[in-house]
Amino acid sequence: MTKRAMQEATFLILTALAGGSRHGYGIITDVAQISGDRVRLRAGTLYSALDRLRLDGLVDVIREEIVDNRLRRYYRLTPEGSRELAAEADRIRSHATTALTRLNAATGTTP
Amino acid sequence: MSNATNNVMNNVTNEAADLESRYRSWLRWYPRSYRRAHESEILEVLLAGAREGRRRPEPMECLDLVRGGLHARMRPTVPSRDRSAWAAIKLMYLSAAAELATAVVVLATTGDVRSAIVMGDPGYTAARWRAELTGSFAPLVTGAVLAACLCLCLAWVIGRGHRWARAAFALVAGVNLASLLHGLAGGSAVYAQADLFAGITLCLVQLAAVAHLLHPYLPKVAALWGAGPIGPA
Repeated sequence: MTKRAMQEATFLILTALAGGSRHGYGIITDVAQISGDRVRLRAGTLYSALDRLRLDGLVDVIREEIVDNRLRRYYRLTPEGSRELAAEADRIRSHATTALTRLNAATGTTP
Repeated sequence: MSNATNNVMNNVTNEAADLESRYRSWLRWYPRSYRRAHESEILEVLLAGAREGRRRPEPMECLDLVRGGLHARMRPTVPSRDRSAWAAIKLMYLSAAAELATAVVVLATTGDVRSAIVMGDPGYTAARWRAELTGSFAPLVTGAVLAACLCLCLAWVIGRGHRWARAAFALVAGVNLASLLHGLAGGSAVYAQADLFAGITLCLVQLAAVAHLLHPYLPKVAALWGAGPIGPA
């Protein structure tokens, strides 16, 4: 069966965690930075995605701390999450390379 | 500290308290067990991202929390790698849609059925037809709607990882198939072909869902059958 492409928000969350463990708001700010402020995750969307990623074993909780009487949970990429992210990044790179090669061929320039 | 400074600080505190209280209200869309585990954490994220001086959440934030809450209540909790369970759940949703479509088809084709009966029996009276409507059609349509609800409930329960619901759905599919075969044996197919088509489609969708649900158990059953004393050589 063909594997479905990863959703952009999921890809960006995993990419944020590839840079090290982060708490919820840290992931939101990092995703905004990676995407050039194009993707602004909201809390509900973030936690729905994190629930799914934890269920699939792609991320897990590394530690918890209390800041101003509120829980702050830090998430990290699991080895399986790293593999999935690498596979998706390869897939995107392969598609982008093909697209650029064809565009360059059509306009007569060399890549 | 001057009175003006005190007032400013009190205002800031009140604004933050108002905002937090409103976020908490919107977080009630999440299940209680989920809130116990995540409310404090999500609140921290919401408040960290809120602009200074705001007393109310933005409409899009509220919508996002409603969607997140419904997602937490409804989403299947089986992992994505359990593809047979996911395929079965999708087929069960389709089955519920087919049940509802069956109810609509039955309602829409009552005229055809009446014409077919009257052609075969010119003396068929309006009173007998009314009795047929209340005695046969109404229970059929009600049954289809209830079956759709049952399919949705079982899909939800299976999605939450309860294995007993797989057997329950196999039973529902079996009853539906038996009902279809019983109807065919009684000659109901001559009345309206649309009814027959809807019934067969429904049974095929449900049998496909059952095949996916029972797929993980087939190796065990095959092993038991092969290891049994009267198994095939």
